[in-house]
Amino acid sequence: MAIVKMNKISIIGLGDVKTRLIRELMDLGVVEISSQDSKLTDSEWISYVEKDGDESEVLNLEADISKVNSVLVSLDKYDKTKKPMFSSKKTVSIDEFENKVLDNKSIIENVGLVLNLNNNLNELTNEENKIVSNILSLKPWIKYGLPLELSETKYTSIFTGVVPNVSSSENLINEVKEKVNTCFIELINSDKDQNYLSVICLKSDKDEVFELLKQYGFNTVVFKDLIGTAAENIVKYEKEISETSNKKKQIEADISESVQYIDDIQLYYDYLVIERDKLKSLDNILKTNKTFYIEGWLPQKSKEKVESVLKQNECWYEINEPEEGEEFPILLDNNTLVDPFEVITGLYSLPSSSNIDPTSSMWFFFVFFFGMMLGDVGYGLILALACGLVVKMFKLEGTSGKMLKSLFWCGISTMFWGVMFGSYFGDGIVAAAKTIFNVDIIIKPFWTNPMEDPMNVLIVSFAFGLIHLFVGLGVKAYMLIRDGKPLDALYDVGFWYLFIIGPVLLLAGGTISPVLVIIGKYMTIIGMIGLVLTQGREKKNIISKLTSGVLSLYGITGYLSDVLSYSRLLALGLATGVISSVLSIMGSMGGHTIIGIILFLVVFVIGHSLNFAINALGAFVHSARLQYVEFFGKFYEGGGEPFNPLTKKTKYIKIIKEEN
Amino acid sequence: MELLMNGNFLAICGAALAALAGIGSAIGVGIVGQAAAGVVAEDPKKFGSTLILQALPGTQGIYGLLVAFIIMNKIGLIGGNMAELTTGQGGFLLAASLPIFIVGIISAIHQGKVAASGVMLVSKRPEEVAKAMVYAAMVETYAVLALLASFLMVNGLTI
Repeated sequence: MAIVKMNKISIIGLGDVKTRLIRELMDLGVVEISSQDSKLTDSEWISYVEKDGDESEVLNLEADISKVNSVLVSLDKYDKTKKPMFSSKKTVSIDEFENKVLDNKSIIENVGLVLNLNNNLNELTNEENKIVSNILSLKPWIKYGLPLELSETKYTSIFTGVVPNVSSSENLINEVKEKVNTCFIELINSDKDQNYLSVICLKSDKDEVFELLKQYGFNTVVFKDLIGTAAENIVKYEKEISETSNKKKQIEADISESVQYIDDIQLYYDYLVIERDKLKSLDNILKTNKTFYIEGWLPQKSKEKVESVLKQNECWYEINEPEEGEEFPILLDNNTLVDPFEVITGLYSLPSSSNIDPTSSMWFFFVFFFGMMLGDVGYGLILALACGLVVKMFKLEGTSGKMLKSLFWCGISTMFWGVMFGSYFGDGIVAAAKTIFNVDIIIKPFWTNPMEDPMNVLIVSFAFGLIHLFVGLGVKAYMLIRDGKPLDALYDVGFWYLFIIGPVLLLAGGTISPVLVIIGKYMTIIGMIGLVLTQGREKKNIISKLTSGVLSLYGITGYLSDVLSYSRLLALGLATGVISSVLSIMGSMGGHTIIGIILFLVVFVIGHSLNFAINALGAFVHSARLQYVEFFGKFYEGGGEPFNPLTKKTKYIKIIKEEN
Repeated sequence: MELLMNGNFLAICGAALAALAGIGSAIGVGIVGQAAAGVVAEDPKKFGSTLILQALPGTQGIYGLLVAFIIMNKIGLIGGNMAELTTGQGGFLLAASLPIFIVGIISAIHQGKVAASGVMLVSKRPEEVAKAMVYAAMVETYAVLALLASFLMVNGLTI
């Protein structure tokens, strides 16, 4: 249980076996190779060793990986087969994997082919964009009847241009015609920004015309390399566009054809990633001319497997326990029930190596509180079924699989609380019976309905909170005792137990038995005196010892606010319940008629989906908060580095060893 | 003036105020939405986690609606035959709506700001979405407490 014990390993071996050793260690997947950068600045080491690893080779592989990735992305776009919502890795036997990788010529060809097709497609798209923008720039000139390349005749000068559309173009045209009466000027087109003009004048008048036009902000427009009228050119361009789009379709069809190779390309991608990781691990290895040096971590229980590999490769090695206080990478190990909840711990932070894995003490409360805050049989059933089915069908692993498994248990707990509160889609089932079948049924809660009896549920919420906090304190005591400080456990935890339980009995115990009040009184007094005497034990002189002791009593307000924080267990439960009953009332407005039934069903489905989504999110977040803030706050210290062994981090396939 | 002394009018005012807590949620959800859209423009895969963060400040509106509903239920507005309330009873319900009205609006806006910062956190470190959610939930605590206060007050009144 809990944090896996790690051992430190140092290996020295001959350079010849290095590649084989790394491959075999990767197959085992239990050794983390740690960085040796500190040794490279250590004068004792630096005269003998240098850093291994080939960065340029790693970069090459990275480049290949990103190429293959872009191919996979584009193939994915054209993959018409239905994809499941959650993809699971395909299993491939190691023989099959190696055969495919050895014979990778056709895969590389296919990758190159798709890359080429992609490039062509991009070029065509660019071309298309260019043509479209050309068409746009020609569109205003469509009524201009002269060939665009015609800029002069023997005696006349012909040109086109634009003026900003600020003043009416008639003024301009009239003025030009008035001053230079041989000039022909015509408005071709006009939009909200510009007027498009065509001008024909005698060559001798050209300068004068230009001067006039300039005053109106005239800019000449020249059509480079275009022959024929604007309309003819547009027609030509449109033809080109349809040609390119045909070509594009052809290329897209070609790419779609390559979709059949996607499995092999995915395998090749994973192969490249594995090779990259192997090469990258060399970065953390030191070498001399003939030997290499590896330092790292491995879980104690995998010691023998690693030892046999090292012996086969004739390496010298040493395996040690970590030194006192030395931080080691964290791997959590729990039984199958608790295991999924490691993800909740991981979301906060992994424990530091001197701490404790909180998962086994936390998971039950997480599930319990989640259920209480959602508290509905219908919602719990949906959550449990959905998560359970997805996990079963897609064999999900890793974080998402663990998360869904956690939520499965949360769903079960939600159903439990739904029964306790008598909530089946709120009062949706009762309302459905009334509206659709016109029968009255009554569902009684097993315990109590929080909407009718909120005070009881509130008190029970506080009680659960108190238990939760006490377990947290208990874990702290356990850790102190484990670390050989039983007295600290008494001072920091024991006295607090007395000083919290005491006042509770003193105030509330009278309703059960007057003896409890007396017990409570003495517990309070002993706890208080104990805290005053011990909480200042770090201080030097007697006065500051006592002041710290007295001030520490103020900590009771902290516990008070912690306990009050558990009122959210009631509040969020109420939120679910009240919204459900609003839905039932809205749905029942149509009464027992056809329209009423349809209305009810629509409101029921949409409303409950929304209510479920928002309240399940709320329950998750607030249940997590109660763990992270109230519970972990009592004992937990995060900041552990996750154990990151050299292993095959594949994305698409799972390589399995065949049973011999 | 006569209207202001009408118990039923005061009670309906209380329900209306409670429902107005949605103002805060609208602003809060809006703030997060703007931040989220910017992040999703860079990386569309982050839609899911940013959407969850955007939903968080939305709960105050729901709490407000919830209190509005239990007030309406209490005075029989939903059943169709409204009870005749005294000025005191109406004023009581109006006062009971104040915690969720005021705390709801303010906490939703602040929760929106925290969640928007959380969106930034997710854009740099997508794996830390839970921490961003917990930060936002810290603010929501006070809306939950206000909801509880309003609920218990309304629930405690007998008509």
